[in-house]
Amino acid sequence: MKRLVSLWLNGKRREDAVADNLLLIDYVRETAALTGTKCGCDGGECGACTVLIDGEPRLACMTLTATCDGKRVETIEGLAVGGTLSSLQQAFHEKLGTQCGFCTPGMIMAAEALLRRNASPSEETIREALSGNLCRCTGYVKIIESVKAACEP
Amino acid sequence: MARLQEFVLRRPESIEEAVGQLAAEPEARVISGGTALIANLRLGLGSPAALISLERVSGMDRIEVSAKEMRFGAGVTVARLATDDAVRAKLPALAAAALTVAGPSHRSVATIGGNLCLDTRCVYYNQNETWRSSNGYCLKYRGDICHVAPQGKRCHAAYSGDLAPVLLVLQAGIAVAGAAGVRRMPLAGLYQEDGAHHLTLAQGEFVSEVSVPLPAAGMRVAYRKARVRGAIDFPLAGVAMALRMSEGRVAELHVALTGTNSQPMLLTGTEECRGASVDEALADKVGKLVQRQASPQRTTVTTSNYRRQVATAYARRLILELAAAN
Amino acid sequence: MSEILSPKPMGATIAAHPVGRRQPLIDGIEKVTGRARYTADLAATQALTGVILPSPHAHAEIVSIDVSRARALPGVRAVITGDDCDVPFGILPIARNEYPLARGKVLYWGEAVAAVAADDEQTALAALALIEVEYRLLPVYTHAAEARAPDAVLLHANKPGNMEREVSNSFGDVDAGFAAADLVREESFHYAEVAHGQIEPDCAVAEFEPSSGRLTVQSVSQVPYYVHLTISECLKMDPADVRVIKPFVGGGFGHRTETLPFEVTAALLARAARGAVKLQLSRAETFTIHRARPETDIRLKIGMKKSGEITAVEAEVVQRGGASAGYGIITILYAGALLHTLYRMPAVRYRGFRVYTNTPPCGPMRGHGGVDMRHAFESLMDMMAATFGLDAFAVRRANLFVAPYQTMNELKVSTCELAACLDWVEEASGWRSRKGKLPRGRGLGVACSHFISGAAKPVHWTGEPHATVNLRLDFDGSITLLTGAADIGQGSSTLLAQIAAEVLGLELSRFRVIAGDSALTPKDNGSYSSRVSLMVGNAALAAAEELKRQLVAAAAKRLEVGVEEVECLGEAYLVTGTDRMASYRDVVKSALEVTGPLTARGTYTVPLELQGGKYRGAGVGPSPAYSYAASVVEVSVDEDTGEIKVEKMWVAQDCGVAINPLSVEGQVQGSVWMGMGQALCEETEFMDGRPMRGNLLDYRVPTIVESPPIEVKIIKAYEPNGPMGAKEASESSLGSIPPALAAAVAEAIGVRLPGLPLSPDRVLAAIQARRRDERLKSALGGAS
Ligand SMILES: Cc1cc2nc3c(=O)[nH]c(=O)nc-3n(C[C@H](O)[C@H](O)[C@H](O)COP(=O)(O)OP(=O)(O)OC[C@H]3O[C@@H](n4cnc5c(N)ncnc54)[C@H](O)[C@@H]3O)c2cc1C
Ligand code: SF4
Ligand code: FES
Ligand code: FES
Repeated sequence: MKRLVSLWLNGKRREDAVADNLLLIDYVRETAALTGTKCGCDGGECGACTVLIDGEPRLACMTLTATCDGKRVETIEGLAVGGTLSSLQQAFHEKLGTQCGFCTPGMIMAAEALLRRNASPSEETIREALSGNLCRCTGYVKIIESVKAACEP
Repeated sequence: MARLQEFVLRRPESIEEAVGQLAAEPEARVISGGTALIANLRLGLGSPAALISLERVSGMDRIEVSAKEMRFGAGVTVARLATDDAVRAKLPALAAAALTVAGPSHRSVATIGGNLCLDTRCVYYNQNETWRSSNGYCLKYRGDICHVAPQGKRCHAAYSGDLAPVLLVLQAGIAVAGAAGVRRMPLAGLYQEDGAHHLTLAQGEFVSEVSVPLPAAGMRVAYRKARVRGAIDFPLAGVAMALRMSEGRVAELHVALTGTNSQPMLLTGTEECRGASVDEALADKVGKLVQRQASPQRTTVTTSNYRRQVATAYARRLILELAAAN
Repeated sequence: MSEILSPKPMGATIAAHPVGRRQPLIDGIEKVTGRARYTADLAATQALTGVILPSPHAHAEIVSIDVSRARALPGVRAVITGDDCDVPFGILPIARNEYPLARGKVLYWGEAVAAVAADDEQTALAALALIEVEYRLLPVYTHAAEARAPDAVLLHANKPGNMEREVSNSFGDVDAGFAAADLVREESFHYAEVAHGQIEPDCAVAEFEPSSGRLTVQSVSQVPYYVHLTISECLKMDPADVRVIKPFVGGGFGHRTETLPFEVTAALLARAARGAVKLQLSRAETFTIHRARPETDIRLKIGMKKSGEITAVEAEVVQRGGASAGYGIITILYAGALLHTLYRMPAVRYRGFRVYTNTPPCGPMRGHGGVDMRHAFESLMDMMAATFGLDAFAVRRANLFVAPYQTMNELKVSTCELAACLDWVEEASGWRSRKGKLPRGRGLGVACSHFISGAAKPVHWTGEPHATVNLRLDFDGSITLLTGAADIGQGSSTLLAQIAAEVLGLELSRFRVIAGDSALTPKDNGSYSSRVSLMVGNAALAAAEELKRQLVAAAAKRLEVGVEEVECLGEAYLVTGTDRMASYRDVVKSALEVTGPLTARGTYTVPLELQGGKYRGAGVGPSPAYSYAASVVEVSVDEDTGEIKVEKMWVAQDCGVAINPLSVEGQVQGSVWMGMGQALCEETEFMDGRPMRGNLLDYRVPTIVESPPIEVKIIKAYEPNGPMGAKEASESSLGSIPPALAAAVAEAIGVRLPGLPLSPDRVLAAIQARRRDERLKSALGGAS
């Protein structure tokens, strides 16, 4: 069954006819053609698809698009406002919080959710907030450094 | 990508409406946060014609505190359990257990109701369609033998939710909504030892509320979870314990397990510990209770023997730690 | 293809020095903004959906395949089977026995049997269900020993005993060595198979253009050149009609070094469907592609003097290679060859067996061939040192060689700073004051490791240079560096730009890098065996020097002086000793006046004397340079549960000059962390050939929670064979971690486990065995 779903995607209102079984990851990547959000596993295991829904970190691969009706969905593409990198994006770039970059959008979105709640998290809190996001390249050391750097004024 | 098969999503706004929709569609399933259900549907486990989402049902997300108990709508998220001030103050062990569930992006939407009604898990079951069909399926779904215990006639898939054991030792109760109205029962009554049918809910029923009596003064409660990684992983075994001491002796003791059996379960025989002083001998006794009643099978890639041992070790340790904290 | 911009420079009249600077990635902005396009992200709206029919059996004859009903389904554009490609492929010209789609037999569970391209996924999957295959089952061999049994059915008819390769070599007088030893000890070790676990699942997009007969393939490859070669061979096409493009790649670690069957299948489907096909594999299918470190058994014997000096070594290795040859021969050779290049080895006898089994094909994985052997070796060395009361550092120091050094198997090590690496980790970890004095349940361990900087003999011998880089300079003054070397996240594009920019005295912002598009970039042997920094780096250096010569000549002409009087300052060219100068832009204008846009070419070929000996298998091991690392790991172990917590890792790395210290740190951290995963909890597992851990819950890639702080020290060094003194910096450190971690665990619990991983169940079993032993001993002691 299809239904009309209207939501805010990166601050822009959209309305699409969406099948009930359409996963948010496919909506974002295919319907909206925002391919920054990645898919790294067969469901819920890697965090690469992390987006924000009403400010909360959520897995796009485990979310039905139809349940996002009326909600605010944010993806990595929404972070660089007016082309200026967010502090997390800047820090991940400068501190090498990204290597191959495949986990990066999900990692940054999970970190973004954290920093909106807590502007100066402890290292333990950072680890906790990113604990559902797997990275195979960095050993996480520079990811933690990047998040810390993004918190510096 | 394994797309989801087709279904109709319904989003009722009241318990009555949800009950009505479930009654009207026998092939319907309840969905809350979906963090477990969608993973299973993506693997081809189940083919519900409709999903009844409880997300918008009014009152499902409330947390109420009275002098006697805390009440949670079944839709309260696991993240809220972990961070809510009242929960952290009154039921810290529940908040701590919530923090061990999956990862933050699951917890933000995963619910207490979904966690309690989590399907059981098994390495022969949590596989994709290709895998299962090449293995001739199994008792639990679409097949007729169990690969774990081929001689047996029942499924041994393990219940692996993290909240149930803590709620069990806290003597939680639940409210179940169904066509006949709402019935209340102890949480333990929700479960039975059968991996293919571990919930006692009738078709069309769902959990609408969880109520937790506030622990008696001096009651210490804790949960320990064994897993290989520090996040994401389901419990290989989990032990919850509630202990009240009086004059240096055990006044009340409850122990519950998860990950080891097809249901989360309160150990029997703990009342025999009443009056004992807490020492190595008592720890051994509690350990023996666990060892005898836990019956992990080869349902995970980690050996069942290890799961039993680690549950035993945690139980021994917990009683010593909790007694020391008293 | 990735085209990259970095921030604009300031106008400068002193030469820029990008080398040695902590340089963020030249394509980092794309990655942090989500703009970077990986294969799965390619806008291929017109593309058909490709799907693969996996074998439900691990070993079976294909009696018949009927695809007629699938073909007849509306919306299906192509259905192909093994009949559509009869050209076997494989990385080694001498060992090609894999087909993109099984022919006659299936050899592992999940092997592709047929493939469909259809208008959408639903139709494609419906078509798969209509394909009828009849199989006749054969016995399944999941472990090497089963496949080697005398009556075992052969996976490949021409390989008796299911033996892919048996290696046997001996250097020096091994028997005399053992005779001269004060202690000879032999131990056996078992290693579980592990997987690369790169976060990007496999994917390929192939587009066939019917009117021209040309094919473009975009894929997740580490070596687009192999993909190009293999596809043109398997499709019997003129390579000139094939173009291979590498988009952004989400990690490789060796998974994507050889051409993978789905890449060929995507091309076959596109041609059959006469259009574009996207073949996106699931995580489960990506695990089945595999190509990683095999299950391995090692029997190791070492002879040692009281001083710790090793007198002789004998090693026997059995690797479960999986269903096809792949890199197998090279892996089994590396396990032996790399015994020689870390410590002084007077005599080594090596026997290696690479066995065919009904499991997914293994291949190269970070630290290719050397990691499991390194664990066995360092572990046994520790055990023997303990017998003599020698400290773990002392026994290693007793065996260091001084470079330049030639090994018994004729490998030439030009530089080695392992001694300095050991000094640093000893100091930084507080070893001397803490070792042996830690509380119960805690431990420290040290180990060393190393790796080559690229194989001196390329897999495909063509006589061409080992690496080529082109630099294009046009009227706008921007320089485009063209390389076939795939940046897969390791930062190679950044490093190459840094080297070229350093030579030319320019800022990186003048550069763009285009990597891995066969229509634009010179062929490259690819990103494997840590060859890019050194080999492609040398080519980039040569190209930049060539371009600089041309610019200096143009400047000399413009300034009307001799070339020897011109000094290049990057943004300006100065007449030495005067203040006369020409701006870079003007010099470019002059340089282009006669010739038009310039292309400067640089190549690198490994000098003949570094290409190794003449014996059988001598091609594996030689390299222009070897990198070294030493690590200390600190752990605590919970004796009741067997759970290990890694408290900290210290790593000292000799990688020559660090062109980009930021990147070196990142590579080393990622590498040692991956070693930690293998040591702690990663393993694949098969039941009757079916993968039991083909997902990211059961294949346990460590999370951020249990990942420890990692302190990295880059040891000051200079490698004369490398570009600006550099050598590899990503694979060499990995191998030190499993043995260092295992040694730390051994100290913490008082027993050493004979293999990996040290999963909690195994550790707990070892602790319990120790307790039983202790009880037995004390009972016996009490009785006597
Ligand atoms: C990678 C991964 C790791 C995980 N790790 C853990 C873990 O460590 N610990 C853990 O406990 N869980 C874990 N989970 C499972 C899951 O995320 C949680 O258990 C979660 O709390 C389930 O809640 P939900 O609301 O998302 O349930 P849903 O997915 O919505 O539902 C789960 C099941 O319960 C039924 N259901 C839902 N709500 C109700 C209700 N009110 N009444 C009756 N039936 C209902 C559904 O029909 C379904 O069968 C993990 C999941 C994934 C994908
Ligand atoms: S325990 Fe047996 S019946 Fe149950 S899921 Fe596992 S294999 Fe199937
Ligand atoms: S894609 Fe892996 S968790 Fe969503
Ligand atoms: S940067 Fe490659 S997976 Fe994280």
